[in-house]
Amino acid sequence: MSENLKFVPHATCTFCGCVCDDMDLTVDMDEKRITKAENACVLGKAWFREHGIEQRPYALIGGREATTAEGVEEAAQILARARFPLIYGLSDTTCEAQRVAVAIADMIGGTVDTTTSVCHGPSGIAFETVGESTASLGEIKNRADMVVFWGGNPAEAHPRLFSRYAVTPKGMYIPNGRKDRTVVLVDVRRTMSTPVADIFLRVKPRSDFEVLWALRALVKGRRVDPSIERRTGVSLAVLEDLVARMKSCRYGAFLFGMGLTMTRGRHFNSGALLALTTDLNEFTHWVAKPVRGHGNVTGADNVVSWQTGFPFGVNFSRGYPRFNPGEFTTVDLLARGETDAILILASDPAANFPKAAIEHLKRIPVISLDPKTTLTSQLARVAFTTATYGINVGGTVYRMDDVAITLRPAFESPYPSDEEILSAIRDRVRALLGGNRVPAVAPAVAAAS
Amino acid sequence: MSLAFTLRTPPTVPLEAEVLTPARLAGLSAPEAAKLSVVHGNERADLGEFFQVQGTADGGGAGEFRLTGDLSRVKHVGAGMADGRIVIHGSVGMHLGAEMTGGEIIVEGDAADWVGPEMTGGRIVIKGNAGHMVGAASRGSAVGVRGGEIVVFGNTGNEAGHGMRRGLVAIGGDAGDFAGVSMLAGTIVVLGSLGWRAGAGMRRGSIVTMHPVELLPTFSYACTYAPLYLRLLLARLRRLGLPVADAQVSGRYQRWSGDAVELNKGEVLILEA
Repeated sequence: MSENLKFVPHATCTFCGCVCDDMDLTVDMDEKRITKAENACVLGKAWFREHGIEQRPYALIGGREATTAEGVEEAAQILARARFPLIYGLSDTTCEAQRVAVAIADMIGGTVDTTTSVCHGPSGIAFETVGESTASLGEIKNRADMVVFWGGNPAEAHPRLFSRYAVTPKGMYIPNGRKDRTVVLVDVRRTMSTPVADIFLRVKPRSDFEVLWALRALVKGRRVDPSIERRTGVSLAVLEDLVARMKSCRYGAFLFGMGLTMTRGRHFNSGALLALTTDLNEFTHWVAKPVRGHGNVTGADNVVSWQTGFPFGVNFSRGYPRFNPGEFTTVDLLARGETDAILILASDPAANFPKAAIEHLKRIPVISLDPKTTLTSQLARVAFTTATYGINVGGTVYRMDDVAITLRPAFESPYPSDEEILSAIRDRVRALLGGNRVPAVAPAVAAAS
Repeated sequence: MSLAFTLRTPPTVPLEAEVLTPARLAGLSAPEAAKLSVVHGNERADLGEFFQVQGTADGGGAGEFRLTGDLSRVKHVGAGMADGRIVIHGSVGMHLGAEMTGGEIIVEGDAADWVGPEMTGGRIVIKGNAGHMVGAASRGSAVGVRGGEIVVFGNTGNEAGHGMRRGLVAIGGDAGDFAGVSMLAGTIVVLGSLGWRAGAGMRRGSIVTMHPVELLPTFSYACTYAPLYLRLLLARLRRLGLPVADAQVSGRYQRWSGDAVELNKGEVLILEA
């Protein structure tokens, strides 16, 4: 370690949706790396430790080293020529970059989709149908005397959700912290989070909807068939006891994860939980919040909603935004082979998408923006190396409770930010289209193709 | 002679062709029909770039036309149609007959997701399988089919009849999960098996199945009987070509009431073994 150290107080960790903004970083400015991250959880420490400056080309075009400007030109040509282009990812970058990504999608008559479609997209559908009783994490910390974690493992995925907001911290109306809270965990298996709970409901896989539906009926005083225990693994007596506790608490909060949203039933699972929350508000105050994974996936929801009216899976091919999950979401578009070019912003779908979708990725021109080498960047026609948001790049991100937080970068990167590259692509696409929105009428594209 | 469209150049990306309705084609010659505008991805194109068009359209809005080829990337065929007839020799893409108010669509092959969303009248017959959301409410909408008939000879995906308020959805094969979810009224008949969570959140309406099914714990057994209306309905489905057995027409059905989470005035009828 050199003696050229820099101290960055109140920095923000963008690893997960908690977006903890109380990081105190020590940076070795000669080696361009963070040597210490006080207050960070184990995941945050790894995030800061692993994001130094790597020696990589600014851009690769077809595997050949290129400048950023050359990459921009190639990317713009691909997007301007495409008939059904798609822009995907967005969840690990700043809101400023997300805004430019949406503008490009609008300009090229394409589709913009975020990683929300493969995590809490079902919740997004449910919000539209059922509505949302919501709160900030600060409100939950200060008021919630009953917290139900459903379908998640915060101890390993969001460690500071327990310690900073929802389990142990003392709050304005929760003076004794953990002692004043009843914590319930609902999951299909025991996890590292289980010991934290006062009540653990181990439900059979794929039976969350039945449990939620039974809880709704009990809250409303309706009959529930005793066969519920055989089907879900949870007895009627346990559910009745839980309902009594939920109706008698002062302030309750559901925090739900992908164990609910991505199991059989999907948006109906999320919708059932949101409807249960509404039902409980007949008796006492309850809120529900999805626990979000990527650092700025909530920002992606907010930016895309603010610019298009819809949170993800938005298509512009008719000149106005249309929202239809299943039709305009990335996995579906790729698996059906319907898109002919894709720009992937800060995401690695080649590592986790279904095989049919990955096979189509291999058939079409891919443009990738990522600080790291990924499976997606390796199959990309154009791969940009970018600076890391939150560490090298400032801007705005949203915490999982829709609270906007400003980033305080630790040190500069030689690589451009996502926003800079996207802005250059946007300007070049605009020039290629001759100011027209519809590529077909742009002479520059016709000449180039 | 009616117009006939044969797919000559399959679209490489989705083709949105809501111009393919009897009313829009009424009185057009083949060259005129070929000049109609469709949306191919993010650009406008002529219908004739993809289809070979022959014949002349019938006069008036009640004409008939035929489509031939694999139209699985052609969306919105028959959307909003009010009368006339479309016959599709092949498979067809999403949003077939969306919001149609009358007329008839016959598909000799399969249909993709969203067959007849929010239709209020007319009939759609799918000889093969259909995707998800048959006769359903569009995303963000609370009410699905308000009238008309959808008959699928094969299987369907999830959410058939989602939010339906009136009308009939008849499925010759199996239905996916959440058939009749949030149903307000209307009738769904499934000759094959029902998937999980049928009728979740239904207020009124009828779901009929010929195979045993485990319902949500918020449904309760009411009685076993032979409803007269069901005999009439099944006889009609038989006339439409669905393979309805005599035992199903004359059989006795368990009646389960639900969904107790909502009004509890819906019913699921299960053929007694």
